[in-house]
Amino acid sequence: MTRALVVDSYLLSDAESVVARVRVGDPAALEILYRAYEAPVFNLARRICRSVEDAEDVLQDTFFEVYRSIGQYRGDGPLWGWIRRVAASKALMRLRRNKYRETDELHDDAHPFRREDTPLRMDLEAALERLPETSRAVVWLHDVEGYTHEEIAGMMDRTASFSKSQLSRAHARLRSWLGEESRT
Amino acid sequence: MTHLTMEQLVALRTPGSEPGTAEAEAHLRACPECARELDRLHQRVARLRALPALRPSRDHFAVVAARVRHDRRQVRVRRAGIGALALAASLLLAVVGHDLLSPTAAAASDQLTAVMAESATLEQALRQLRSEERVTDAYTTHAVASLEDRIADLDRQLGQAQMRGGAADEGALLTLWRERVGLMDALVDVHVTRARNVGL
Repeated sequence: MTRALVVDSYLLSDAESVVARVRVGDPAALEILYRAYEAPVFNLARRICRSVEDAEDVLQDTFFEVYRSIGQYRGDGPLWGWIRRVAASKALMRLRRNKYRETDELHDDAHPFRREDTPLRMDLEAALERLPETSRAVVWLHDVEGYTHEEIAGMMDRTASFSKSQLSRAHARLRSWLGEESRT
Repeated sequence: MTHLTMEQLVALRTPGSEPGTAEAEAHLRACPECARELDRLHQRVARLRALPALRPSRDHFAVVAARVRHDRRQVRVRRAGIGALALAASLLLAVVGHDLLSPTAAAASDQLTAVMAESATLEQALRQLRSEERVTDAYTTHAVASLEDRIADLDRQLGQAQMRGGAADEGALLTLWRERVGLMDALVDVHVTRARNVGL
């Protein structure tokens, strides 16, 4: 059983009938969907976006898109997998739109922390937050949500190599910031 | 001894996906330090997955529902607008055809044609603005919904005027179309102001 299927059965046991009701424009059914998936959608958006406000906009955009595009969901995969894809696309679109100060590379001077401000050891939450947006998005989508590099590349309109490179560089950074001992 | 790079370690988490994996695996079996590093990588990923879920500070469904209602209204207005335009055009043809030789009627018909053309131009501008799908705040959504409701109501009145028919209703028809143009103008203003405010 895939993770998305587990999430579906946990969050919304009668997904099929709710989707059918959303398709015919039942607003109560849309609210059921929203209540069921609001938390994981926001969590995904917040982990990718820099600000709470952006994550909240992504949350709204995602469910509006779900309402508009529910006809495209064929029911051949987990509903959470489909909604998550919509949410991830919206979050990445938000990153691109905001034109955050980041290039393909991880540059220390490309984000608001100066080197001397970096504590010797950070907790994981702070270290994740400190990563540049694209790297953080790749880490979250790959390591937590389980997307492949090819899928991430498709969503970001980049190559799989780009995604792999971002992931390994991000882990090198996390390892350093978390104060994990280095190899001799 | 050259240890595995982070890229190689990350690649080892998805076995078989990278060239050179066999060599890296062989190195891993012989190097306890790299084995520990891979273990740390697995643990880091596990800790990432165990981070607490972040939740929104307030309920956003009301905004989603407002956007959905707004979208539905737009669809209805578009359909009603097209219908009203078609009905009014047929009425205009009937009026012009009937009073072809009357100068007063011809002038009124000219005015009606001009107002309808203006309405069509605004309709086109609105379609363009709507297609850009900008983020909307609750206040703007409410203002747009209110204007669209009034336009939909006018379209219903235009339809009724057509049902009554005849030259006697031409004045009323002109008034309704002028009112429609005014509302459409206000609606374009709201969309343009919103676009300016979000800096796009």
